Amino acid sequence: MAEEEVVAEVEAVEAVYGDDCVVLEKYPPHLHIHMKPRTADVSSQQFVEATIGIRASSKYPGEPPSISIVDSKGLDEQRQKQLLSIVYDNAAELSSCFMLVALCEAAVEKLSSMNHPDGNCPLCLYPLVNEDDGLPFMKLMSCFHCFHCECIIRWWNWIRTRKEADDANASRSSTSQKDMEDQTGRSEMIDEDMGKCPVCRKLFLAKDIEHVLDLVGTHSDVNSAETVVLDEHNLLQSDSEKIRRQKFESILKVQQENSGLIEPKKHEVLLPGMFLPRPVESTSTSTDKETKEEGNNNQAVDSQGTQGGSSNRPSTSKHKKFNGRMHTQRGRNSGKHVRQWIRKEDGPTS
Amino acid sequence: MTSPSPSSRKSLSKIACNRLQKELVEWELNPPAGFKHKVTDNLQRWVIEVNGAPGTLYAGETYQLQVDFPEHYPMEAPQVIFIPPAPLHPHIYSNGHICLDILYDSWSPAMTVSSICISILSMLSSSPAKQRPADNDRYVKNCRNGRSPKETRWWFHDDKV
Repeated sequence: MAEEEVVAEVEAVEAVYGDDCVVLEKYPPHLHIHMKPRTADVSSQQFVEATIGIRASSKYPGEPPSISIVDSKGLDEQRQKQLLSIVYDNAAELSSCFMLVALCEAAVEKLSSMNHPDGNCPLCLYPLVNEDDGLPFMKLMSCFHCFHCECIIRWWNWIRTRKEADDANASRSSTSQKDMEDQTGRSEMIDEDMGKCPVCRKLFLAKDIEHVLDLVGTHSDVNSAETVVLDEHNLLQSDSEKIRRQKFESILKVQQENSGLIEPKKHEVLLPGMFLPRPVESTSTSTDKETKEEGNNNQAVDSQGTQGGSSNRPSTSKHKKFNGRMHTQRGRNSGKHVRQWIRKEDGPTS
Repeated sequence: MTSPSPSSRKSLSKIACNRLQKELVEWELNPPAGFKHKVTDNLQRWVIEVNGAPGTLYAGETYQLQVDFPEHYPMEAPQVIFIPPAPLHPHIYSNGHICLDILYDSWSPAMTVSSICISILSMLSSSPAKQRPADNDRYVKNCRNGRSPKETRWWFHDDKV
């Protein structure tokens, strides 16, 4: 009689939680229930979750079930304890009633109230959420561990740099040494598109972290973000930038005087995908200007093309050849035309 | 006498300083059981007293750990060694070098001095016998010119002790 009622209750829990409820035993009941905070329809707004184990004896409901946390994300020891004690308090209140559904509700309620990141950034050890500095933080989707964006990106760039250095070493060293590395699992190298959480070593996708890169600036290095700002400032004040700006302004002036586009010099014929060798700098703002300028020149090329016909063909092919040579020199990173080219030019001038 | 002096090292970055100061404050509030930080004005080198856990082979014994922090701590692991005389242990060499994966390949910047200490104490406590590693003499000879254990290519083959 009692057994039937208990089984019916287990079925009720199953009905409420669907796939999130795993029934290990119908009687006496033993369930694992995967719980998310109520507020967590948007995954980016979810910071905690837990799998609660409920195990009752054949004396249930006369004797309350035992509750455990089978698995959890985003909950430190203290918060896990809080969650458990809330559920146990409820069990004590409902003593000798059918309480499985109510206990689950209580746990979800508590999880919802705890659905915020808590504690310190594991990398800098300062509070994750601080009203004074308001540093942005991020969460790894695989394990819900949270970090300041700046801190995790610094670490990410650090392991990337290390990996590149290791790869370079590995390709230089003999195969036997490589074998040894594999055997010891020394480098245990992470795939190009995977990383491991610094706290729990759970694998995560690189793209989880890379969307944050924009926030911090891809150039941030291990030292601090301050140096990046300084560098940018220096670049904007550098001679090459001044010269470039003057050049741009003078062209602009001529264009304004002629009330339209001016005919570019023959050796500056540009086609999409081609980049002129001249001293430029690498700040992103200037690359934007650069493309604008380029666009203007391209239009000019078009208009010139209709006028002069074949006159610019030879120079075009010459440039194509030139461009091709640069490709082979640059080798594997040919994807990043502009930046690579600029770096080459910057070297001697600065 | 103990290890390469940190004078050959670059001083701590600002980030490393902030992090270490934070660790020090946390340590003072909540030191790991069995450890005592010897206060100095040198943030880059900590000397920590270890007391063997009661009920283990090292009960009642006291050793000293020396922790040197690199410029880019915690991205890079600190160098952790016992100041000789080091405890007799199958993973601790007589020159104080410790064969423990988290100090080298398995280091993660989410670890702290405190978590390292707990790992070392647990390694000591689970030791089945007071003995040196089998290759102690050869290894120590190789390290005579003051090589850091971080430059050793360690093989971690035993996860029981």
